[in-house]
Amino acid sequence: MKAAFFQVLYFARAALRGLRASPVTSAVSIATIAVAVIPLGGLLVITGNMRALLDSYGRERHVTAFLDPQLADAQSEALARRVGALQGVAHVELVSREQALERFRKRLGAGALLEALEDNPLPASLEIALREESRSADRARGVVDAIGKLPGVDEVAGGEAWVEGYARALALVRSAGMGIGAVLAFATLLVVANTIRLAVYARRDELEILALVGASRTFLRTPFLIEGVAQGALGGAIGLVLLYLAFRLLVPQIGDALALFLGWSDPSFLAPRSLALVIGAAAAFGLVGAAIAVARTRIS
Amino acid sequence: MSERGGAAAGARPPAGRRAGDPLIRLFHVSKSYGASFALRDVSLEVRKGEMVFLTGPSGAGKTTLMKLLFAAERPSEGQILVLGRNIGRLQEGAIPALRRRIGVVFQDFKLIAARTIEENVALALEVRGRPPREVRGKAFAMLKRVGLQHRRHQHPPSLSGGEQQRVALARALVNEPAILIADEPTGNLDAALTLEIMDLVAAAAARGTTVMVATHDQALIRRYARRTLRLDGGRLIEDQPAGAAR
Repeated sequence: MKAAFFQVLYFARAALRGLRASPVTSAVSIATIAVAVIPLGGLLVITGNMRALLDSYGRERHVTAFLDPQLADAQSEALARRVGALQGVAHVELVSREQALERFRKRLGAGALLEALEDNPLPASLEIALREESRSADRARGVVDAIGKLPGVDEVAGGEAWVEGYARALALVRSAGMGIGAVLAFATLLVVANTIRLAVYARRDELEILALVGASRTFLRTPFLIEGVAQGALGGAIGLVLLYLAFRLLVPQIGDALALFLGWSDPSFLAPRSLALVIGAAAAFGLVGAAIAVARTRIS
Repeated sequence: MSERGGAAAGARPPAGRRAGDPLIRLFHVSKSYGASFALRDVSLEVRKGEMVFLTGPSGAGKTTLMKLLFAAERPSEGQILVLGRNIGRLQEGAIPALRRRIGVVFQDFKLIAARTIEENVALALEVRGRPPREVRGKAFAMLKRVGLQHRRHQHPPSLSGGEQQRVALARALVNEPAILIADEPTGNLDAALTLEIMDLVAAAAARGTTVMVATHDQALIRRYARRTLRLDGGRLIEDQPAGAAR
């Protein structure tokens, strides 16, 4: 147990010595990993924000019922209570015509355009949040149909078409991400494997000597594996830092476009868990690359 | 101090070796590379604490025989027992444990140029996972024994050949191995340095380490007057006991 501890110490020192001994090849390897992490992390940022939007959509206003413009306020309120009593409905909010106009004005900032109108063209509406269990496409449709049959309801926008299209786009981005990810991961593996192979060749004499004085295979190989892990983790971390800088620079530039077309009012960067995941994955690729290298190189 | 002495005759238990028990045994060992034989039908025993010279012309099989002892090569035929382990059947994973009990010294020193001489000596302890304090302490004591403690922070290329071989010897002996194998340890050294190294080797034998030294140097063999094995064309052609007139 104690011996194992001292060996780990030795391995860490040996790995560090290895990184220092070949700074250029190590740097190239780390840079390659960083470059691979940037687009992958970028895709994670995009899918993460798309996902968050879908979630908030599901949580907030899954269904909007536009009311007959002839309906008096009291009738609208009564209708809101009826809808609220329907199965599958979690919460109902009545949005009056005035409130609707106000919101529209705020959201688009198109004051001049709206002021040119004499009448408020917007109907009153009910914003209906569905219960968690009713949010599936089939069940939501059932609720939407039930609401649509109520007298005083003009039209129900379930938003399914938009949600489905958006969800499909999300799935597309995800699978594209996986495809790109697979290619980049493979390239990363090759680069790390080659770097470590060079390191093994560069230290061949040293390895031979270590083997002569009784170093085990584990003892000979572990420093290279640690080197691979270190390169992976370092490359991953550097890639994420660069991605974050790009994110901070880019978002203010295109924030309005994002808000308008994708509904991202305040896009967020990766959560700490995702950051750890990216660095962990990069470290794992470093390890696998190094393992391939040492397995293909005869050390004895 | 010396554990050398009269060989006990008769049956010996395989474990719990006593002074004089054979640590190295070869039974009809041959080693061939394709059609050419490096060793042919060699049988011999070396007892605990013995110091043995291995001599013969170039290509006689000295290096091959030594490589077999620390399992850098495997026999093509016959059996080799080293410290009770059968080299022919030794699992790959069991080789490191065997090598930790055998110190090896080469003509070209085999030191790591990028490390200090203290670190070079420490390697033999580090592969065994010894604590850093013990590693430093033993490496220092060993370097002191070969008279190089004051140069422990220097790198091998800044040392003379004789000094480098002393470092190699320190590395080989720092684990107090049961066996010391030296392949032409003085081949690159002048006469004065040769004696300096050989005195250190003989001192290790006097402490009870079994020593096998391969050398061309007949003057050295005469000077130390130890048991001498002569190889020629891969065959053991002579086994001269210690002290025999040559």
